[in-house]
Amino acid sequence: MNSKLTIRDFALVIALAAICGWFAVAAPQFLSARNLSLLMTELAITATLAMGMLLIILPGHIDLSVGSGVALLSGIATVFITNLGLPAPVGLAIGFVAGLVIWFMKGLLIVRERIPAFIVTLAGLLVYRGLFWLVIDNHTVPIVAGGQTNLYSLLSTYYLPPAAGYLVAIIVVVAAVVAGLKSRAARRAGGFEVEDGEASFLRLFIAAQAVFLFVIVTNQFRGIPLPALIFGAIAFAVYLLTQHTAFGRHLYAIGGNAEAAVVSGIPVQRVVVTAFAIMGGIVAITGFLLTSYTGNSTTDLGEWMELDAVAACVIGGVSLRGGRGTVLGVLFGALIMACLLNGMTLMAVTPEYKLIARGAVLMAAVWMDVRLNRA
Amino acid sequence: MVILSAHNITKIFPGVVALRDVNFDLRESEIHALCGENGAGKSTLIKLLSGIHPHGSYEGRFEVKGVEAKFCGIADAGRSGISVIYQELALVDEMTVAENIFLGREPKRFGGFIDWPRIYREAKALLDRFQVTLDPAAPVRTLGVGQKQLVEIVKALAKDSRILILDEPTAALAEHEVLILLDILRDLRKRGIACIYISHKLDEVLAIADRVTVLRDGTSIITKNAADTSKAEIIKHMVGREIADLFPRRASEPGDVVLHVSDLSVAAEGSSEALLQRISFELRAGEVLGIGGLMGAGRTELLMHLFGAWGRRLAGKVTLRGKALPPGPPSRLIQEGVVLASEDRRRYGLVLEHDVGFNLSLSSLDQFSRGGFLNRNRETRRNREFFDSLRVKATGLEAVAGKLSGGNQQKVVLGKALMTEPRVILLDEPTRGIDVGAKLEIYEIINRLTAEGKAVILVSSELPELIGMSDRILMLHEGCIGGKFTRAEATQEKLMAAAMGQQHVELT
Repeated sequence: MNSKLTIRDFALVIALAAICGWFAVAAPQFLSARNLSLLMTELAITATLAMGMLLIILPGHIDLSVGSGVALLSGIATVFITNLGLPAPVGLAIGFVAGLVIWFMKGLLIVRERIPAFIVTLAGLLVYRGLFWLVIDNHTVPIVAGGQTNLYSLLSTYYLPPAAGYLVAIIVVVAAVVAGLKSRAARRAGGFEVEDGEASFLRLFIAAQAVFLFVIVTNQFRGIPLPALIFGAIAFAVYLLTQHTAFGRHLYAIGGNAEAAVVSGIPVQRVVVTAFAIMGGIVAITGFLLTSYTGNSTTDLGEWMELDAVAACVIGGVSLRGGRGTVLGVLFGALIMACLLNGMTLMAVTPEYKLIARGAVLMAAVWMDVRLNRA
Repeated sequence: MVILSAHNITKIFPGVVALRDVNFDLRESEIHALCGENGAGKSTLIKLLSGIHPHGSYEGRFEVKGVEAKFCGIADAGRSGISVIYQELALVDEMTVAENIFLGREPKRFGGFIDWPRIYREAKALLDRFQVTLDPAAPVRTLGVGQKQLVEIVKALAKDSRILILDEPTAALAEHEVLILLDILRDLRKRGIACIYISHKLDEVLAIADRVTVLRDGTSIITKNAADTSKAEIIKHMVGREIADLFPRRASEPGDVVLHVSDLSVAAEGSSEALLQRISFELRAGEVLGIGGLMGAGRTELLMHLFGAWGRRLAGKVTLRGKALPPGPPSRLIQEGVVLASEDRRRYGLVLEHDVGFNLSLSSLDQFSRGGFLNRNRETRRNREFFDSLRVKATGLEAVAGKLSGGNQQKVVLGKALMTEPRVILLDEPTRGIDVGAKLEIYEIINRLTAEGKAVILVSSELPELIGMSDRILMLHEGCIGGKFTRAEATQEKLMAAAMGQQHVELT
């Protein structure tokens, strides 16, 4: 795969640095450990959804129903747990399985009946929202009785103890070093050009610093938030899926040239349906995290989240026509959106201007992309 | 009087000379037929005359009414009175006949509003003038192909075109529609309109044309009065090439029958009309079966159907080593050892924005997967193996596929197919648009495959290639088998005659 850095990759980093720098000056509490921890949790929620969206956009589809899906699937879990008194793990499992099944069937509608994903998921956006209101009976349903905790509430209130946090950081860095060395050895064995040792070391060094910085900062405020860990695991899984499995290759091939994919013997329908089923699971997890963070299922939960997820992908360099995009790009896209939102909230920007600013950033990112591609 | 003339036209595409020193002229009130094999340069010549290839992209000059024409686009050609009627019709199905006739130059009134009464009035007048009995208010989608063709012609004439270029106008027409069309053309001739008439159907050509020009390999071979020539002579000029030692076919001992096709009839998806009819043949291990035919004869469709990527089987049986061949999808056929390298590399062959390695291994990822994870090392080693043995000329496996030359793209497509370790290889025009050196390398690959006991079906538009590289040859004619030949008995004349079939349109 292409590992060369482009101007675009730097542009993302620069934009992110500029946004953070500006907020650091304009709203000093932006860099406080407490706020950064909060930011991590918020980022984890949208970025998790964006990872799922990546799997859908890579083969050239789109899913507009995820915002309503987030509400519906977590709402099902909430109602089972709070209203019907099932244990929290069982309720969550029901919501998760519902996500897999519903999205699997949606995938079938798209590939078998050839209804455009745009339409199927637009219908889903409306239908799921309606179903959600029926499920919660238009009430605000708490995820746990006041003052108590269960697995559901712990999802967003549990923090990894500092020592465990450092342990995680060490494991991640050691694994990255080992993987990096192995890949270099493999490339050398395959007779390929091996990246300059110093450059790889530098890159790994920066990444390791980022990991430890992250742990140090979060440890100053309770520790690594659980949503950040869950997001990390999902992002890593999606990375493996897209870069190290045949399934991932097939996603890129379908998005890059669907007709050639068929003739190359790729089971296009199966791949796309699988991508949608995975998306269903990710939507459920996102819903649990968001509802846990909010504390209850309310009627407007998850509204417009589909657009945040698509925006994170697009800003991160994912082509809406399919075939192009990476996990790292989407992570940066989600970071930019999350920082922007968080910083504006700290500066007490009113919702009107928040919307306008987010739209403008999305527009600017795509415009830049088009310009760079043309050049 | 000469109304249009082309002098020493040469048009070069990257790597291919499409036209070389072509001379051609068209007189007023004349129907001038243009004949030639697929790829002889007819389409390129038309694209030049109609401004699609603009002035400056070719050498030589052409004149309209004695003045040098320097077209920058179709609109310029239109202003000079040239209209082209293409095989794929350029009508908007959802609009009426009259709307289509005036599409893009609607008469206006009241400062900007379309003058609907005038459109229908004038459309009616035009249709009447050419004795076309069509309702101007009928939506085009309700018309048959022949009627649509007539609307196209009326549309062209409504623009005061003095020169009509018809590209295979009768390919999709029923016999009675052909007669109507020919009548209309004769009528136009009386009105002083000149036509360039391109057709594979030589009976038709001889019945309607005043003169015939034959193109071959991008050069104009001969121009004769239709009355002074014959079908046999035209075919001779169309194919008159020597088969040089360009085709290093080394026949190997044919083995057992691998693929057996009997009485196969296939229709396009969602249609009940059979496009392929009663096709039967067998293919042995170590053998190259060539399949030829004119454009639209069903060659590509046959391959795509065998590969499970096209059409609905109406009747017939296909067996692979005695077992019924699954009808699809392609992923299943690859497992059975059948693979296709498509004619349209950019559309069906490659994921252009990804690199060579990505494309080479795309059909064979199962070979490198364990527990769902790709072993990149093994993948790379295998990619390297094919990259080297096919002698792909690129900076490496990480070169972007879309930036390779046609020949190298073709090698990548072949490599992708061969990496699946197939027993039957379906090659659709494997040498189209690539240079001679790369062609030879591809022929060598074919020899190597048959020497290994693999069976190859080779579809080609070039008769010398068919004769040069095949052990047996099957010619298709309008979806049916037009003739079967062994390599020894095949001549270009025989093959061309078989491709043209026994068509006898009763021409008055």
